[in-house]
Amino acid sequence: MLDFIQATSDGVLFGATYALIGIGFTLVFGVMHKLNLAYGAASIGAAYAGLLILGAFWAEAPAWIVFLGAFLAGGLIGWLVYVTCFHFIPSASALATLMATVGMLLLIDEIVVHATDGLPLNYPALFSDVMLHLGDYYLRGDLLLVFTLSVLCMVGLLALLYRTRLGLATRAVAQQPIAAQLCGIRVARVNAMTFVITGLLGGLAGAMIGASVGALSPLLTTPLTIKGLIVTVIGGLGSIPGAIVAGLLVGGFESVFQQFRGVTERDLYVMLLLFVFLFFRPGGIFAAKGGRD
Amino acid sequence: MKKIALAVSAAFAACALGAAPALAQEKTITIAGFGAKTGPVRSFGVNSEAAMLAAADVINKSGGVKLADGSKAKIAIQFYDDRCTAEEGISVARRIYGTEALVAVGPTCSNVAEPLFGVLQKKVGDSSDSGLQMPIFTDVAVKVGLAKISEWAFRNVPNEMTMYSSLFYWLRTKHPELKTVYGGVEEDFAHSRASWHAIMKDRAQANNFQVVGESKWLLADTNFATQAREMKKANPDIVAIAAHPVSMCGALKEMARQGVKPKVLVGLTSSSSLETLKGCAKQAQGMIIPTSFAPVTKEGKFAAETTAKFKGAADLHSMAAWENVFILKDVMEAEKISGDKSKVAEDRRKVRDGLAKLRETKGLLGVTKRTEDREADKPYLFVTAKGNNWVVLHNPLQ
Repeated sequence: MLDFIQATSDGVLFGATYALIGIGFTLVFGVMHKLNLAYGAASIGAAYAGLLILGAFWAEAPAWIVFLGAFLAGGLIGWLVYVTCFHFIPSASALATLMATVGMLLLIDEIVVHATDGLPLNYPALFSDVMLHLGDYYLRGDLLLVFTLSVLCMVGLLALLYRTRLGLATRAVAQQPIAAQLCGIRVARVNAMTFVITGLLGGLAGAMIGASVGALSPLLTTPLTIKGLIVTVIGGLGSIPGAIVAGLLVGGFESVFQQFRGVTERDLYVMLLLFVFLFFRPGGIFAAKGGRD
Repeated sequence: MKKIALAVSAAFAACALGAAPALAQEKTITIAGFGAKTGPVRSFGVNSEAAMLAAADVINKSGGVKLADGSKAKIAIQFYDDRCTAEEGISVARRIYGTEALVAVGPTCSNVAEPLFGVLQKKVGDSSDSGLQMPIFTDVAVKVGLAKISEWAFRNVPNEMTMYSSLFYWLRTKHPELKTVYGGVEEDFAHSRASWHAIMKDRAQANNFQVVGESKWLLADTNFATQAREMKKANPDIVAIAAHPVSMCGALKEMARQGVKPKVLVGLTSSSSLETLKGCAKQAQGMIIPTSFAPVTKEGKFAAETTAKFKGAADLHSMAAWENVFILKDVMEAEKISGDKSKVAEDRRKVRDGLAKLRETKGLLGVTKRTEDREADKPYLFVTAKGNNWVVLHNPLQ
C-alpha cells in the first residue's frame, strides 16, 4: 500500500510538468485550432538556451536565475515558432503549419545536439537534497517546488485569461476570430502573444524537468512531446483545466504502472489509458463547449 | 589559327607532363569510418572519427602505407554518420561498398552492428550468398559475440565476459565481506541490456555473489524514483549499473537523493568516459569500471594527445579506432595490397584475409590476442572515478 501511495505522489508531483506542457499544446489549439508539435522541443530548447547563455557569462549562476533564463528563453522561442511556422502560412492550411512545426521540432533537436555534442548537461535544482519524511513515506523537496511553481503558473495563466484585457481578447479570438477582428482586436497580435505566453510556460516546464532529473539531454524532447499530446487529448483539446487534471493523472498513472508492471510495460499502459479515453470520452475530461462556427 | 591551336595544345601538354609526376606520387588508400555522429551517443562517433584522423595523420607523416609495387600511399579517412540506427547503418555500409574504401571501421552501436553484419556475406567465397563483401572492423559496438555472424566482420572491442569475470573475482577476494549484488539496467539499449543479463549477473553469481534484484529503466527516462526505492529495499552491498551516462547519471542522482549507499558501485565499460564525469562526477565517485584503455603507457598518452588535437577524447572506444587504423596499415602492407582503384574487390579480400590471419596485435595497453571467431582479447584495467578523472585502481594482469 505504501508503494502505491509513494508511486502515486511521486507521479502526481512530476505530472505537474506534464500539465504545463499540456497547457501549452491546448492553449495554442484553443486559440488557433492548430497543433504546435514543436512545443515539447521548444521547452527543452529553452531550458538549454537559458543554461548555455547564462553559463557563458556567469559560471555558477544560482538555480533560480537559470530557471528565469529558461522562462524568458521560452517566450522568445515561442514567438520565433509563431513567426516561422504560423504567421506567414495561410490560416486555412492546417497541414502546412503542422508540418512546419514538425520541421521546427527536428531543427531545435539538432541545434541542441550540435551545440552540446549530444552530451547531457548538469542542470541546477533547488531543494534537491531535501526529503520530507513521514515514517517510510517521503516527499522530494525539489518535486514539491516543481509542483508549487507549476500550480502558481497555472493560477497565473487562468488569472491572465479571465482577469485581463489580453485574456479577454484571447478568449474572443478563440471563440470567433472574425467577430473579434471586427471588434478591433488584432488577431495576429493575440496569436503571437499566445505563443509567447505558452513559450514562457514551456520554458519553465523544461527547466523543472531538467531540475527534477538533474540533467538536460536531447533525449527528453520526444517523450515530452508525446506526453504533452496525450495530456492534451485526455484533458480535452482547448481545455486548460482539462490539461491540468490530465497532466497530474498521466503522471500519477505512469508512476503507478511503472511500480507494479515495470518499465517495459509502463508506456503500454499509458497508451491504453489514452485509448480508453478516446473510446469512452473522445472529447476528453473537459470537452470544449461549442467552438467556432 | 593553326599556330595558335598548336601553341595552346603544347601549353596544355606541358602542364599535364609537369603535373603527372606529382599526380603519380599522390596515391591514397581510403579507410571508411562510420558511427553515431548525431543523436544522444554522438560523442562516440565524434571521438572515433577524431582518433582515426589522428592515426592516419601520424601514419601519413611517416610516409604512408607501402603498396605491392613498393610505392607508398597516404591514408584518407572518410567518416559517415549512421545515427545509431540499423537502417541508416546498413544504408551507410552499402554506400561505402560503392566507394573505393578498402575497409570500414565501425559502427558505434551494437543495435547497428548486429543487423549490419547480417547483410555481409556469411562465408567467404560462397557464391550463392550475395551479401556485401567488404571487411568491417569494429571499434565500439561491444555486445558480446557479434563477429561470428559473418566472416567479413572483425572486432577490436574488449571482451566484457573476461573483464567482468575478473572484476567480480577481484571484488570477492579483496572484499570478502561483500555478499549481494543489485543490478540497474538500461533495457532498451542492446549493449547495456546484454551486459547485465548475459554478463554482469552471470559473472557475479559465478563468483558467489547473490543477485538480490534488478531495476530496469529506459534510455530516455527522467524519473528513477521507483528504481531507487527498489534498490534501497534490497540494501545490496554492490550495485552494478549497466547503463550509459545519460540514464546512469539520472539513476545515480536519485540513489543519492534516497540515500541508497552501496559499498561498491560497478559501471558499464562504455561509461568510463568524460561524459559520465561531466554529467555526475559527484555521484559517480568511487565507481569501478573495467576498461581496455587508460593513458598509462607512452603509446597511450601519445594517442590521447594526438587525438585531442583533432578535437576528440580518448577512451576505450576511440582508442580502439586508433588501434584499428594502425592494425589495418600493417595488414595492408603484409598482404601487399595494390592500391589500384580498379582492384578494390581484390584488395578488400586481401585485407579481410590479412585480418583473419592475425593472432595478435599491438594495442595501447599491450598485446591484444585475436580469437578464432574474429574477436579481440584485449588487456584491461580497473579504473575508478576520482575527482574529475578516471584513475587506475587495479591492473589485474600484473
